[in-house]
This record gives sequence, C-alpha cells and structure tokens, in this order.
Amino acid sequence: MIQQIVKRDGRKAPFELDKIAAAIFGAAQASGGQDYEMARSLAEQVEKMLESAAGDQIPTVEHIQDTVEKVLIESGHARTAKKYILYRNERTRVREMNTKLMKVYEDLTFQSSLENDVKRENANIDGDTAMGTMLKYGSEGAKQFYEMFILDPAHAAAHREGDIHIHDLDFLTLTTTCCQIDLLKLFSGGFCTGHGFLREPNDIRSYAALACIAIQSNQNDQHGGQSVPNFDYSMAPGIRKTFRKLFRSNLAKALEVFAADENNEVDAETLTERVEQQTGKWACLAGDNGYDEAMAAALAETLDEQAVQKCMRFARKYADKETRKATYQAMEALVHNLNTMHSRAGAQIPFSSLNYGTDTSPEGRLAMEQLMLATEAGLGNGETPIFPIHIFKVKEGVNYNEGDPNYDLFKLACRVSAKRMFPNFSFLDAPFNKQYYKPGHPETECAYMGCRTRVIGNRVDPTREIVNGRGNLSFTSVNLPRIAIRAHGDIDWFFEDLDRKIDLVIDQLLARFRIQAAKKVRNYPFLMGEGVWIDSDKLGPDDTVGEVLKHGTLTMGFIGLAETLKALIGKHHGESDEAQNLGLEIVSHMRERMDQAGEKYGLNFSLIATPAEGLSGRFVKIDRQKFGLIEGVTDRDYYTNSFHVPVYYPIGAFDKIMREAPYHELTNGGHISYIELDGDPSQNLEAFEAVVRAMKEAGIGYGAINHPIDRDPVCGYTGIIGETCPRCGRHEGEGVPLSKLQKLGLYKHLNSMTLGYHGDPAEEADRQPNTLKVVKE
Amino acid sequence: MMNEKEMQEQLIGEGVGFERIRRITGYLVGTLDRFNNAKRAEEHDRVKHDMSCCSFEEAHTA
Repeated sequence: MIQQIVKRDGRKAPFELDKIAAAIFGAAQASGGQDYEMARSLAEQVEKMLESAAGDQIPTVEHIQDTVEKVLIESGHARTAKKYILYRNERTRVREMNTKLMKVYEDLTFQSSLENDVKRENANIDGDTAMGTMLKYGSEGAKQFYEMFILDPAHAAAHREGDIHIHDLDFLTLTTTCCQIDLLKLFSGGFCTGHGFLREPNDIRSYAALACIAIQSNQNDQHGGQSVPNFDYSMAPGIRKTFRKLFRSNLAKALEVFAADENNEVDAETLTERVEQQTGKWACLAGDNGYDEAMAAALAETLDEQAVQKCMRFARKYADKETRKATYQAMEALVHNLNTMHSRAGAQIPFSSLNYGTDTSPEGRLAMEQLMLATEAGLGNGETPIFPIHIFKVKEGVNYNEGDPNYDLFKLACRVSAKRMFPNFSFLDAPFNKQYYKPGHPETECAYMGCRTRVIGNRVDPTREIVNGRGNLSFTSVNLPRIAIRAHGDIDWFFEDLDRKIDLVIDQLLARFRIQAAKKVRNYPFLMGEGVWIDSDKLGPDDTVGEVLKHGTLTMGFIGLAETLKALIGKHHGESDEAQNLGLEIVSHMRERMDQAGEKYGLNFSLIATPAEGLSGRFVKIDRQKFGLIEGVTDRDYYTNSFHVPVYYPIGAFDKIMREAPYHELTNGGHISYIELDGDPSQNLEAFEAVVRAMKEAGIGYGAINHPIDRDPVCGYTGIIGETCPRCGRHEGEGVPLSKLQKLGLYKHLNSMTLGYHGDPAEEADRQPNTLKVVKE
Repeated sequence: MMNEKEMQEQLIGEGVGFERIRRITGYLVGTLDRFNNAKRAEEHDRVKHDMSCCSFEEAHTA
C-alpha cells in the first residue's frame, strides 16, 4: 500500500486513491463517459503499477500523473487519456504563469525603471513611483488572469505567441479606449465629476479649467486618451461671456471718470440690461453687432456727445485688453494643468488632445491664438509642454491660403510647431475626410486622437457620421512580418494566412465587444453617467451600454509593413515601386476585410496604422527567437511603425510623404506620417510650411514634423544642443561657474541655499529669441 | 558661509544632464529615459529627411 506522495513543492501528503479516481472520472466525463466504477478500477491499476515500479520510494505527483496516462492508454481509454493530458498541460501552464507573475512582481518591486523594461512599457507612466508600480501590479496581474480564465484559448495563444497583439489587455473586461468629448454639450447646464457638481461656467478661465477637469474625469473611465474635437468652438462662448462682463465693468469705471457718476456700478448694470434686452445682443469683441450703437444712444440720453464717446472708447479698449489677457491666462493655466494634473491614481497625466483651427469667430480665433502663444512660451521654466497634443485642422477657404480668415493662425501654428513640435496638422480636405464635412457643422470636421486614432464614419447610424461623443472601443494588431517570414516568398500563401489571422482578430474583437456591451452606465460614471458618450444621456444607471457603444469602432491594426515587404520580395516600399504596389495591396486587403466584417456584424470595424509604443519591440523579439536574424526583417530591436518607411532609410521629405500618403486613405481607423527635420526649423519656417503643404497636397490625413528639442536645465536654454550648450557652454554633466551664469543674466537673486535655475521672472521678461547656432552632431 | 569670491567660482550643474524631448507614437516624451528599449533603438536609428529633392515641389507649384 502506498501511504504518501511527494508534492511539487517537496512536502509530503497522504496518498488518496479517490483523488486519482476523481481526476480520471473528470477526464472521462469531458469525453462523454459516465462510469465512476470504471474510473475507480483504473485508479486501482495505477496504484498497483506505482507499487511495483517505485518499491520503497514515495512517488511524486509527476510520476503518478505519468502512470495515469500510461494506464489509460494501455487499457484502451484513448479519448479519456487525451483529455487527461490536456487538463494536465493546462494545469502546468497555470502553475508556470503563477510563478512567472510572482517573478514579474518581484522585478517590479526591486528593480528601477532603468533596469526594468516592463516599467517603461508606456513612457508616460512613471514606473518608479508608488502609484505607478501599483498600476503595473494590477496591469500585469489582470493580463494573466484574463489569459487564463477569460480569453478564448485560441485568442490567448495567438496573443501569447505573438501572432496578434491584443492592446490594453489589462483592461479587457473593464472599459473602452477613448472618446472625443463635446465640451459645449457637457458644460451646458453644468456637470458632476462623481465627486461634486460644477455649475455651467461663466468665464473663459472657468471654461479652460473645466475643460481640464472633463478630460481628467473621462480619462479615469477609459484606458486610452481623451480628445476635444472642437476646442476653438468650445472656448468661444467663454470668451463671449468674459467680454460681456468686462465691457460692463469698464463701462462702470468710465461712467465714474467721464460722467462723475457716483452710482456708476448700478447704472452700468441697468444700462447693460436695458440695451441687451433692446438689441437681443451682448457687447462683443468685434463690436459689429449693433450693441455699441445702441449703448451709445442710451448713454446719450444723459451725457453729452463727447462724454459718450469717451465712455464707449474706454469700455471697449479695456474690455478688449483685459479679455485678451484673461484668455492668455486661461490658456496658460490649461497647458500647465494638463502637464501637471494627475489621473489614474496619480500614475500619469491625462493623454489629452485638442483639435482646433476652423472657428472663424473672433472669440474662437482668440482662444486659438492665445493657446498657441502660451504653448510657444512653454512651462514655468520655459520647458516644452508634453501635453496637450495640439491638432491644427487645415482647411482650404478657412485657413490654408492667404486671404482665408484663419490663415494667420495657420502661420502661427507652423511657427509654434517649429519650436514646440505641436501643433500637429490634420487635413480636412483629404478626400476621405472631406466626404463627411458639412460647412457650419463642426461635428462633421474630422478630428484625431493625438495618438492618431480616427473615428468619424458610422455604419450603425449613417445620419450621425460625426466625431462628438464617439471613440475607439478596442484594437488588436496583426504581426505582419511573421506571416511574411513564414510565407517564404509565396505571396498567395501570405494572403491566405493573413486571412486566417484577420478571422481570428475579428472574432477576438467581437468577443471583447460582448464583454464591453454587458457593462452598465454605473460602471462609467462620467463617460456614460454625464452623457459624454453619444446617446448615453438616454440611459439610466442600470442600463447596459451595448447599444450606444455600437457607435464606437472595433479596430484591427498592423505593424511592420516595411519588414513584411522585405521578407516577401527583398525590398520595402521606400526603395521599390513593386514593393509599394504590394504594400498597398496588402493594406487594401485588410481594409476590405474590415469593411466586410462591418457589414456582416453591423458594427464599425476599421483599420488603424497601429501606434505601437509597447508593441514595437515585442513581436520582433519573439520572431528573432523563432526564425533567427533575418536581414532587413528581424535585425533591429523594433518593427517599423505601421506603414511607415523605415526610420533608418534615407529618403527625402517629399518622397516620404508621397510614399505614405496612399495608406492614409486605407487606414480609416487612424494614421499619421512623420517627417524628421534637421536643425532648428524655427530658423526656416518656409521649409516647415512647405512640408505641411506637401502633406496636404499629397492627401495625407494627419501629419507631424519631428525635430530635436533639447533643453539645458542649468541655464534654461531650449533649442538644439549638441556636445555643448550654446548658451552657457557646458558639456553634459559639467558644471558652469556661477560668475558666468550671472553674466548671462541668470541667478540674479541667489543665495547659497537656493542654487539652481529658478526661472527668474526678470530674466524671463528680458528673454530674447535664442541665437541658434546649429551644432552639428 | 562662502564669501563672494568663492561663490563666483562655484560650479553649478555638475552631474546634470541635458533634456532631450522626442516624439513617440504621437505624443512627446520629456526625456529618453522613459522610452522602452525598442523605442530607444528606433529613436537612435532615425535619419533626417532631406528637403532638397523635389519631384514634388514641381508638381506642387505647377
């Protein structure tokens, strides 16, 4: 008789025949068996075989399981044996994952982000902080839980092995990606953050502050970023309200000065009310709506002509000046807030994007101008703001050509971008964007999430092909280069296998959608509870969100078109027309498949050029292990982003634009093209603008220009820094004599206790544009 | 306490690096330290795009 067994951890436990019988019975049941007695007798055979084989030795769990398999096969129970082996393998995998998870936790705990790549998976989460690490514990644990218990095993295996990548897997059962927030709708009547109620704002400063709060609150309900599709239109009413107030208060001052009116404040108020009622208008920035004339007439009832003119001139002059100043302060505060306010338990700041460019009202224009000026000025010490992402909407007849009402703002956008890398540029005239555009309906102007996600077309309700209140639900990327490697040059096989992967992705996106659709409004107190998401205002707290979520997109992405083409035909699309044609064929095919899936399931399937921060290194690492080092394919530490021409490949800016533009039309779920410029483009704004114009003419949907922005924290210089800082002359890590910094006008008020660059306000006021000698690297 | 002369000669900024802001996947990142390994490799490989060529400019001005 066997008395004991040795468990996996080395401890001993009593031998129980029933446990073996139960395991065999379980496997038999899984293949349709019902006979427990048979299981019991098989277990007895196992015991006998163990006794004869082991002698005096105590058997191990592994040994017992091997013996069960043997007995099952030898006694002719092949199907039960198969189930038993499957079950055993699954248990082994679960055990290994538990161990792996604990190892991940150990590394998260005891390694700094410098040593631990997992902590740097996302560059905007500081993995070294308490909350950042807590977020990673949750995220890594959730991923493994879903892999083991929620995901379809086929999807889990494809993800694990790197055939596909399920993005934001840690949020699989929790929420959706992103949303384009209509601030105007949200502000109307005020809103609740879930922690307190905010009245409808009445001043541009409150508009800007509440915009930040809306972005922050919504970010906590989703796992992606937040975008305002109509920032200019959204801020304009705040400026209108501010101007109205400032005109009235300055009229009051004018009455005291020029009309010796003791009761000036009350009189100004009474007059304002009367004229507003009479004209149905407010005092406005442009001064062109008849209000001023009506006010002048009202004043003339008690004042002489000269006093009336003086009062009006005074009120207008200072209302104008103070409105501009208030707007600048509001926009400056917004930029500062969006770079400092915390979200997601303090682990990161919100991923915020602001789209603007087309509001031609004086108020909308002022909002844009002041926002860009505040961005150009930079943060407290002149640092380049990392957020929000600005997206300037370029549109013919609005801002693209000389004579267009917002042409000056387009020029300003180029200037600010040449210094701060924002704004990026979106192109409303690209045919695939223009098809939605209806003049006078800002909600039909295509907007982008900063990362590139694009949501505008709407199969679910073609009458609402709009940006407001919609976003992406989830996306999953295909490992294109792997299919190409495995095709061994057989293009037909490539497309066959691609189709198999696409089938898998569609299936997985649908499975995830079913989980998302079953959630309730109360799971998203802001996104749904405050009616930010389209039609969610028609739902109650316990309603499921599936129907309204259908307006969002289910999206397939891809990475490494360049490596794919290299593997298939030896050249990428930057170096050969043949490769370009094949590249377009591949991406067109993926798009067609998404359109077909959309039709079949009645959902908004779309194709995105995957952003891939976390993914860029993951696939290639696995593929190099599997297939070895293949030149031009697996020989770098990353796969090239989506359809981009490889970053290492020398190509002229205009050629790159022409090569990438056709892919923008195909990737309806989002796209971006980058141009890398050398030197400081602030010194060559014409060249900068030429690139933007080339993008527009080529049919690009969304583009940005990269250029180096360096900063020396010691002297505050911002620009390009090669080996040495052009302002204070130090090398990296080197000290500069205090006397030298003082000569440069820095450190005016220092004492020995507070050394360091403090952003001396006197110095900032004196700042001249930096003399920018381009230092060759 | 340091005297005026000592203070004048004191070195500021020893061990302080330069900040290099770069863009990845659509948004800016304050310094390269936060990039994951693959993105660091990608940033390292980036080449600049020359403005000189231009089949396009002809088409554009035409």
